[in-house]
Formats: sequence, C-alpha cells, structure tokens
Amino acid sequence: MENLHIEATKYTPEIDLNAEKNMLHFSGKSYPENTFDFYQPIIAWISAYFQEETKRETVVEMDIIYFNSSSSKLFFDLFDILEEARQNGQKITVHWLYDAENENALEAGEDFKEDFESLDFELIEK
Amino acid sequence: MKSSQDHLIDELQNFMDGDLERFQALGKKIIKDFKRQQRIMEQSDRRQRQEYDQLQEKLLEVKALNLEIEETQKEVVFTMGAIGESRSKETGNHVKRVAGYSKILALASGMDETEAEMLKQASPMHDIGKVTIPDAILNKPGKLDAQEFEKMKEHAVLGYEMLKHSNRALLQMAATVAHEHHEKYDGSGYPRGLKGEAIHIYGRITAIADVFDALGSNRIYKKAWEDERIFALFRSERGKHFDPVLVDLFFNHINEILLVRDAYRDIFNQSNQSGTAL
Repeated sequence: MENLHIEATKYTPEIDLNAEKNMLHFSGKSYPENTFDFYQPIIAWISAYFQEETKRETVVEMDIIYFNSSSSKLFFDLFDILEEARQNGQKITVHWLYDAENENALEAGEDFKEDFESLDFELIEK
Repeated sequence: MKSSQDHLIDELQNFMDGDLERFQALGKKIIKDFKRQQRIMEQSDRRQRQEYDQLQEKLLEVKALNLEIEETQKEVVFTMGAIGESRSKETGNHVKRVAGYSKILALASGMDETEAEMLKQASPMHDIGKVTIPDAILNKPGKLDAQEFEKMKEHAVLGYEMLKHSNRALLQMAATVAHEHHEKYDGSGYPRGLKGEAIHIYGRITAIADVFDALGSNRIYKKAWEDERIFALFRSERGKHFDPVLVDLFFNHINEILLVRDAYRDIFNQSNQSGTAL
C-alpha cells in the first residue's frame, strides 16, 4: 500500500505512515481546527494497513508535544485500532516520546499506557 | 466525518434488531467511551487551568518588563538632556519645563496623548549637541563674537548626528527636535534655514518652549525677563521666529504653561529673584 506523508503545520503534527518500514510516526503539535476531518484519512490508512493479512512488527512512534481534547479522543480511537490489531495477531510496539520538562506529555502517555494494558507501550524520555 | 460517538449512536439506533449479546457489547463500549470522555475533559480542565495560570504569570512579567524598559528609556533620555544642559550651567529644571510646555503645545496642536507624551520625553534632548561646544563659548558671560556664534550653532547639527542613527521612534523624534529647534518660521533660523511648515511640528513646538523658558530664566549672560516683555516678544515674533498658530495656542494655554513653570521653578530664583544662575 502507498505510504502517507503529511507535513507539519502550525496546528498539526508531521505524520509519516510507512508501510514498507512498518513505522507509523507522529511528531509535533496537534490542535487542528477540525480534528476529526484532519485525522479521518490517517485513521482510514491505519485501519486499512492492519486489515492486510501480512503479519508484521509495527512501531508506532508518538512524539506529540501539545494536543487538544479532540486529538486526545482521536488518539484513544487510534489505540483502539492498535489493540484490535494486536488481538488479531499483529505485533505492535508504541513508543510515546516526551520531554522531561513537559509534564503534560508524560501524564498523557501514562494515561494511555494504563488504558491499553494489552499494548506494548513504552514511555521514552527524549 | 462521523465521530466515534456518532457511530455509537447509530449502533444504538440499530440495536432494536440485535440480540442481547450485541446489546451488552455495545453497552460496554458506550460506558467505556463515556468514561474516556470524562477523563479527557478532566485532563483538559487541569491543563487549561495550568495554561491560564502560566499565561497570566507571563503577562505580568511582560508588563513589568515593558514598564522597566519604558522607565529606563525615559531616565536615559532625561539624563542625556540634563547632561546637555549641565554643560551650559543651566538647571535640570529647564529641561523639565521645556518638556512640560512641549506636551501642552503638542496636545493643543492636535497630537494624540501618545505622541504628545513622546515629544515631552524627546524635547529635553534638544541641546544634547552642546556637549561638543567648548566651555569658553558655552559659559562666556558676554555676547559671542561671530566665530563663536558659528561654533555654537553647530550644536543643532551635532545633536542630530548623535541621535539620528537610532531606530527608536523616541530618539528619531529627539533627533528632529535637536536639528530643528533653532529654525525660525520665516526661514531666518539655523542650521538649514527651513521655512514655515517645512520645519517639523516637533521643532516648531520645541522652539517656542525653549525660548519661552530661556527668556524667563536667569542665564550667565542675562537676567530673567519679565513675563510681559516675553509675551510682547512672542506677539511680535508671531509668524517670524515662531509658527503663528502655535503662538496663538501658546497664549490660549498660558495658564497651564505657567503652572508647569511654577512646578519646576529654579530654587535660586525663589530665594533671590535678581540673582544670576551661577
């Protein structure tokens, strides 16, 4: 399947979904004007990616320094997809990157980790 | 795009056709989703409070810094003016009075409060170029000879040269004031012999303020003039030395101007009206 790359803007993160390297990368800030519209193609791509029969080891890298409430909801939805894929036998590791000074990013990471126990969720200080 | 909640609502609406097992699964999903929403909201509230606190803190910091910058600028500018004046043995009160008169005339001529306040701060620097004039000329008790007067006249250009390089609006204004405060409305002034409104309003205002104060003060080479003598001169120089409109405004606001003069009266003038500035 085609890779999907979206450049960062003032309000949205850089997103790199790479089906060859099995790497899903998010970095930057996420507070789009319309969060659901912005993430719709991304969620669609990721759902399609995990629906493929191929079994692979995927790394999801989240380096989000600031996000709004709707983005938070979208990340829950994303992790739901990952959890479901995991139950279907996909091997997935989530790297949640945070800056030591960014308490909010760490807290959010801890929260996601706690909520998705079945995911291999690593909090990594930058 | 439909949000995940919209999907849940759709599923709930279709539920009528489903079985109990499906209903329970859906119920669990809904409960989970509600709990998540609540958590997101709590997190968001907590963060919002933090962000707002930080914002207010930073705003106060910025305000304090701005004030500090403004005060520093005022002080530096005022001190520079005072340095210029001290070279010619005039008092710091002279620059305060000229500043006060300039603001009154600026407001009267239609400038807004911000610009008038800027002129108040810039006008004390009108004589800063005097720092380059030799003491022998600056403090000569008698009349200057032609050569000495030519030297003295350089202070306008030299003051302008000192100040013109700054990008700060206040110092740009001060440069104009230093350059043009000896220009005369009829074109007979110096250094450029500018005429009428070719002389910047800042220069025309400071000219009146400076001359009014100089005539009313004791100087090394002369005693203070009586008010009536000054007013007579102003009337006769209306349209010659001074901008006629500004002279009219000067007389219209003479009470305010005299209040400024009283507030910054030179101490030695109070104790000895006939004394000299030395």
